[in-house]
Amino acid sequence: MNPLHTLATANWPPGEPPPPLPGFSASDFNPLVAAVADLCLTDHYGEPRPDSPGEPRRTALLLASAGGDRATALAIDTGATRHRMPPLLFFQSNPNAVLGHIAARWGLTGPVVAISPADAAAPGEVPPDAMELATLLLADGDADQVLVISAEQPEQPDQPDQPAEQPDNAGHATAVLVTA
Amino acid sequence: MSSSAPPAGRPVFTGLGVLSAFGAGLAPLAAATATAGAGFAEVTRFDVARRGTRRAALLADPPPLAAAVLGAVADAHRQAELPDGAPLLLALHSDLHTREVAAEVSKGATALGLAGVTRVYTGACVAAATALADAAAMVGSGRHPRVLVAAGHLVEPGVFAAFDAGRALARDGALRPFSAGRSGTLLGDAAVAAVVEAADAAAGRGARPLARLAGWGRSGDAHHVCRPRPDGAGVARAARSALARAGVAPSEVGYVNANGTGSPMSDLAEARALREVFGDALAGLPVSSSKSVHGHALEASALLELAVTIGALDSGRLPVNAGWLGPDPEIGLNLVLAGPRTDARPRYALSLNSAFGGANTALLVAAA
Repeated sequence: MNPLHTLATANWPPGEPPPPLPGFSASDFNPLVAAVADLCLTDHYGEPRPDSPGEPRRTALLLASAGGDRATALAIDTGATRHRMPPLLFFQSNPNAVLGHIAARWGLTGPVVAISPADAAAPGEVPPDAMELATLLLADGDADQVLVISAEQPEQPDQPDQPAEQPDNAGHATAVLVTA
Repeated sequence: MSSSAPPAGRPVFTGLGVLSAFGAGLAPLAAATATAGAGFAEVTRFDVARRGTRRAALLADPPPLAAAVLGAVADAHRQAELPDGAPLLLALHSDLHTREVAAEVSKGATALGLAGVTRVYTGACVAAATALADAAAMVGSGRHPRVLVAAGHLVEPGVFAAFDAGRALARDGALRPFSAGRSGTLLGDAAVAAVVEAADAAAGRGARPLARLAGWGRSGDAHHVCRPRPDGAGVARAARSALARAGVAPSEVGYVNANGTGSPMSDLAEARALREVFGDALAGLPVSSSKSVHGHALEASALLELAVTIGALDSGRLPVNAGWLGPDPEIGLNLVLAGPRTDARPRYALSLNSAFGGANTALLVAAA
């Protein structure tokens, strides 16, 4: 396989809470993904370009997370046993939703893909299989670039009402924009 | 203009394993979709007393999810008489059990002689189609002679409650794709597996293809977190990519298994996409959403609908768009409705799927 060319790389500072993301609740996972993507895309493209005409950016979004959005998953399981399920949890019940936010904000029209590697990447890295899949996506022809995002949350408490953030066990996220 | 790479080695399907609300195997599923025998009933698997919608298409006594997926994998493996060593791409819902289920499936797959689960896709309603496209790319580019793709979704209380709270489920308890009066979707159980194999590799070992995967395409709407782009441009781009990759003209497509979730908004966007791709030919093109019979199987939906589409290409009996109450004047599709029809047996069928995040996929399936 041909080696990939890296166009931009970004890391969200470990332990630093990402800014809130309107429309998402109950979990830092989606804000973390959106924040690291913004850093990386700003580095390469400059300003966001939401849903506007112009040359399409055939950029695929590939989110790789071994743990996934465990806080949302826990909130959904808990909501199902209680009287009321917060409706916003429907919208963030899968990892594609935040990718839709990023795609709309930056005008990215490539494939939207989410995978769950068996092992979490170390902070500052993306899983090797995600890079292999990015290579496949580029060779397959529906994308000119791939934004690979690796994001992991800290281990979650058993109850959603307990705080999830532990200073020594923070979440981390890395984004890499690659092309063939 | 798409620059989708045409496959060097043509992917074919040589094995299929299906578990749906109608039981094990393609035959009961195909019979139900051909006769509009919708599988929806009151949910008794868990408490739905507090839900606005209480119906889904469920197996009476389902095995655990990993066992259900492994059953489908074993059936596909057996039908294909699969040589050892094929990787398994698996599509599952992302939740607190994903890793545990994937590990169990991987262990069982290894025992069958597969290379184990090499990637888990969690991209919602296009997860299985994405895995299929990647399998086709892996086979088409010569990376692997054969890849097994599997997916599973068994309706459970959390997702059901979230869909209910999000007002995504049909309030009248019927899934009515593209119909006047449609009010949402209904969920369904499924575990499906398909063997994707290079045509020359299959021929070399005397395996009989069930169908060909002539083309595939993927796109993003770049529009919204969960709402589809209203003009359907993203869906159209995925469909055109699949057609271009296959070198097939829109007029050669004889059936569309639409995403058709029963959502007022996304069904309309999909109809606009089909008009964009097929133009005047759309008037004579049979279209249906088999979700109206087997329900929406989320991460497994694209594989379940692929199985239905392969069955239709084989038998010539097109899946019926069940639940239809009457025309929506904005839709304007030639829907496959219950009753006698005189459609020609299709050579090519297009299966479409869309998901949150504006993800769209198109699979162009050809008769063997």
